Amino acid sequence: MSDTAVKSPAAAPPTPPAKRDRTRLVKALLWIGLLVVLLAIPLYLDAAWLKAGQYMMIGGVGAIGLTLLVGQAGQLSLAHAFFLLAGATGYTVLSGPTDDERVFGLGLDPALSLAGAVVIAALLGLAFAPVSGRLRGIYLGVASLSLVFLGLYLGQSAETLTGGTSTGRTPEPFSLFGFPFTNEGPEIELMGVPIRQAERLWYLFLLLTVLAFVVARAAVSSRIGRSWRAVRDNEAAASVMGVNVTRAKAGAFAVSSAYAGLAGAMTVLWFDILKPDESEFGTYGINISIAFLAMVIIGGLGSVPGALVGALIVNGLPQVLSLYSADLGWFSGTGDGALTPILVSSFVYGAAIILVVLFEPGGLAAIGRRITPSKKPHLPEEQGK
Amino acid sequence: MKRMYPAVALAAVLVLSACSTKAGDSGSSGADGSGVKAGKGVTASEITLGVMTDKTGVFKNLGLGITQGNELWAKDFNAAGGACGRQVKLETVDHGYKADTAKTLYPQIEPKVLGFVQLLGSPVVAALKQNIASDKTVAAPASWSSELLDNPYVMIVGTTYDLEIIDGLSYFQEQGLVKDGDTIGHVYIDGEYGKNGLRGSQFYAEKHNLTVKEVKITSTDNDLTNIVTGLKGDGVKAIVLTTTPAQTGSALAANKALGLNVPVLGNNPVFDPVLLKSPAANALDKLTIVASSVPFSADLPKAKDVAAKYKAAYKETPNGGIPYGYAVGEVWGAVLKKACENKDLTRDGIAAALKQTTSASTEDLVAALDFSKAGTPATRQVYAATPDASAEGGVRYVKPLFEAPEAKEYVAPHQK
Repeated sequence: MSDTAVKSPAAAPPTPPAKRDRTRLVKALLWIGLLVVLLAIPLYLDAAWLKAGQYMMIGGVGAIGLTLLVGQAGQLSLAHAFFLLAGATGYTVLSGPTDDERVFGLGLDPALSLAGAVVIAALLGLAFAPVSGRLRGIYLGVASLSLVFLGLYLGQSAETLTGGTSTGRTPEPFSLFGFPFTNEGPEIELMGVPIRQAERLWYLFLLLTVLAFVVARAAVSSRIGRSWRAVRDNEAAASVMGVNVTRAKAGAFAVSSAYAGLAGAMTVLWFDILKPDESEFGTYGINISIAFLAMVIIGGLGSVPGALVGALIVNGLPQVLSLYSADLGWFSGTGDGALTPILVSSFVYGAAIILVVLFEPGGLAAIGRRITPSKKPHLPEEQGK
Repeated sequence: MKRMYPAVALAAVLVLSACSTKAGDSGSSGADGSGVKAGKGVTASEITLGVMTDKTGVFKNLGLGITQGNELWAKDFNAAGGACGRQVKLETVDHGYKADTAKTLYPQIEPKVLGFVQLLGSPVVAALKQNIASDKTVAAPASWSSELLDNPYVMIVGTTYDLEIIDGLSYFQEQGLVKDGDTIGHVYIDGEYGKNGLRGSQFYAEKHNLTVKEVKITSTDNDLTNIVTGLKGDGVKAIVLTTTPAQTGSALAANKALGLNVPVLGNNPVFDPVLLKSPAANALDKLTIVASSVPFSADLPKAKDVAAKYKAAYKETPNGGIPYGYAVGEVWGAVLKKACENKDLTRDGIAAALKQTTSASTEDLVAALDFSKAGTPATRQVYAATPDASAEGGVRYVKPLFEAPEAKEYVAPHQK
């Protein structure tokens, strides 16, 4: 399922062409099968499960961005939540109504605003280049953390943009060429299932996730990805090979921020509200930055499909457990010491991180690589940088 | 290419078999034998009300108390015959004070319920605002910000934070604790709760030419010593708090330790009986609390009745959430009975009945409520109380239900 590795012909073991073709075909079929299942899901599952799935996709898009930065380019960032907020605010402001006296809006088309939010987040990431280009490892991590606090402050004080912590502001619902992704507009039925807001948003999010995935895979296997990995492994050597180290680092940070920006815009569409945090733990707080880091560690640093699986676990588990427990009456205890879905899921994902770091530092992606027929080489030293 | 066929076949099967489980979701809204229209959450024998509460997050004590209050009410209401010959059933989910979890749980619980007897937490209420409006589900939030009143389906039981502070400051002035032209400090959490309280201070200050030193904090700042030191430098004559109980303790301890010793006003959420056992216990005498729902051990017949029933049914340490949860149930009961009279138990019927509810009595668990004017708080009356370790529940009344003249003049943000 995973072949994020560089296609370096020299390193690939000699495989008979016929077998390689077959492997590739099986893989392609698996991907197509997965896509078909994902396309069919809204016809089967109820709105609550779709909502949970959408939340996992938000995590997936953000995690892909972070895995490119941390795993491929070797830069630690704890600022992901800040760019999430930037994208969320960007979308809401660009698409917001122009005649609201309380908040500022530009009244642009929602699809254009979504693209604009991604660009804004990327530019902000680029603006951080003087810092991200000079620092590395834990130093960069701590420096980037300051952005989360900056976001907290700006979210609270820039009330005309964010709506303020008191009430927040309502984002414009998404629409594409006049087709609304809400319960309004043309009534559509597919196989007897009405396609309403939950189903429409599912397809939108699926499209965005697939786009994010394809672009990331392309970046990883292209010249850009090679330059990132060269910088990650040895800056001096990369520089000798003709890679502009500063530019590669800044570029990786901007791309990662763009992904976070898209995830942020998806977040406001999912929540139906943009509401800046009241404390450092919130929708755009430290806890979210750490959750994204957990996703890429569990998934296997640098692996794009791994990031998606990580998001499935970290963003999905609390949601799925809550839904199941509401259905089946699990964990119905109350008060101090009660075992509840929220608590159970934080234990599980904490344990997952520890187990991964101890026993499979390559993350779930490494396990995936072992059990799939692929004979591709592992990424050189892809973890622990 | 032959190998593609199985996949294509699989896809076809998947797509074709899709016309299944989800299809045919229609809200049954016919009238029953006695001519009562019923919609979502209502069957021939039951009315289901939703509870979205916090059993695991920062407000788990309050959430548990309110939920138990709701349950006590449902038991009493059913024993008295229910509404339209139907028994009330509660459907409870735990969101752990996390808006994202609440957002996912909502579509699961929404089709099963007529409305919500509890929706705890301002982040949760904010995230579900659009859903409540588009699904027309009447919901009672355990959050008292007047900013929520732009949503006609929100039923706030009690007065709002801004009015609590206005009434409280008026009480301070009546007691001679502040006078026109004074400087006061207001420490608030930057968020729905704190900011709404600040609106009250600002309004009162304008009327009485007070200078308000505003201090913004986050809900995780737990040491307010520096802030109180700053207020001392400003020469404040009183401090207003819209903070968490832990922050209240810190502010009061600093108020005493620094020798500032000014009276402190706080509204409903600032006090928790555990403060009486904290290091700040001997500094609490400067605190006055204003609230529209009574403490657990209030000296009122109905409160005593609820307290006795609570002690018989539950083991946990009681808090102010229990009488409040019971009172919300009583208001829901009044609305259900009104809807019954109208022979309309659909969501539209409930919303209409809420508007007709001009006098919901909870036998003084909460001041009398009037929901007929959209955007206007249902009451402007509060109690004033002071912490007292010797009183059961830790709070003693210093003034029964009252409404300040300034509170009458105050225009809430969404008041028409």
